Amino acid sequence: MKRLILLSLSFFFVFTSYSSAQIVGENYEIEQQLLASTKQLNQFFKRFNGEEDVKGRTFEPDDRQYRNERLRKRYLSILFDEEDTDISSQAKNDFIERVTQADNPAFLNLHSKDWFAVVNTTFLYKGKELPLLLYMKIQKEALGYEWVIADVAFEPYKTMFDKQRGETKVFLHPMSHELDFMNLRKALLKGGVPESYTLADYKPDFLTIFLYEVKMGILQFQTVNRMNYHFFGVDGWYFSLNNFNRANDNSGWLISDLLQVNASQKEDLLKMIYEKK
Amino acid sequence: MNNQIFKRLSYVVALMAFFAVSTQAQSPVDPNREKAIDSLALEKVKDLGKYIAIIGNKDTPFSEANRVMDRAEELFAPGSEMGVSSLASEEIKYYKVREYFQRLMALNYDKVNIEWYDVQYISDLERQPDGRYVGVVTVYQKFEGTTADKLNYKDTTKKDITIYVEKKKTQIAGRTIEFWDVILGDIRVSETSV
Repeated sequence: MKRLILLSLSFFFVFTSYSSAQIVGENYEIEQQLLASTKQLNQFFKRFNGEEDVKGRTFEPDDRQYRNERLRKRYLSILFDEEDTDISSQAKNDFIERVTQADNPAFLNLHSKDWFAVVNTTFLYKGKELPLLLYMKIQKEALGYEWVIADVAFEPYKTMFDKQRGETKVFLHPMSHELDFMNLRKALLKGGVPESYTLADYKPDFLTIFLYEVKMGILQFQTVNRMNYHFFGVDGWYFSLNNFNRANDNSGWLISDLLQVNASQKEDLLKMIYEKK
Repeated sequence: MNNQIFKRLSYVVALMAFFAVSTQAQSPVDPNREKAIDSLALEKVKDLGKYIAIIGNKDTPFSEANRVMDRAEELFAPGSEMGVSSLASEEIKYYKVREYFQRLMALNYDKVNIEWYDVQYISDLERQPDGRYVGVVTVYQKFEGTTADKLNYKDTTKKDITIYVEKKKTQIAGRTIEFWDVILGDIRVSETSV
């Protein structure tokens, strides 16, 4: 059905575009797939918002097709992964109805604070190649915008600062001040547990540790493996995008997770994505 | 070649005429200007496509391939890289633009055919902190290589090409004219399943 919609939309543009006259023979099928594929995140945004035609040409805001509700519904229906995920058609329809609601439509915006990227990378750390997640956000800076690292998740950091609590933990005894804290010498040793001598609510800042270790050359960037994007910008909903490299129309950047979430579920979900305890 | 120079010059002159009325040095790109910039960007991407086909062609003499590599390199901002991954390995390998061309030229095939699909996608232009604009043009390339013993290798790669758009100034007959220039940046090359 979706393919039919896309094909029927495509035919209109194929016959009105001079450049498409060159599409012939065996390339035709592939070019239709490439046309259908959501090739960039930019295109996902534009299709979600109903801001471009099927050939990827941007509508002017005064074009009657611009953000047209019917067009958006058609586009939105093809923006879901159809093969690897189990998003129910009920959830999909509810979501489409919500974002195209006539009196309160929802649109996506690159500059919004309600979405972020999780980039799966590999770093060389103490002689081993290890995975490291970078949480990236877009922010305004000077004359434009930039992507920045908002947080990191790295397995060796997760337990490095786990401090013991209670009677068995090591500590600086409560009269240490009378000795000019001379016992610090025994507490702060290489390979020791210096986190034991911190406040009860101490929380390590992994991003600062990461930046320090990159600067010192302890962590060395190797490569980016893959990435996905998480969106919380539609009230009451969460969805994520993944890139699907497939030889059919259902390819490119597509919604791979869709959930209806309340405020507390949103917090839990964020903790899970950020791999926080 | 003269035709090519003439075509480029006419593009620049057309863009200069188009933007000569502009007064604000850091004004945003309006939709009409964006279309003209998109055309210039696509023109540069097409030039790159032609250069890649010539460099990869086994019939191209070594000296000619080197000359074309020089021309191709001129399309890029200094330090630009190609990030390459395949279906077999999602890990991205990074090459300097020149190194990428040299690897393409040295491929161990007797015959190489490089074609481009008639599908391209141009993103919006987004402004960077330094005031320059950046966009991404996506194109698809079909590669076919045949070895001496008639073994055939085929792949289709998606190329996401960074374009930087910058407003520049030039003096013509004592008048300062502003125009937009497009230069290519990093390219992400990923093999597709099609």
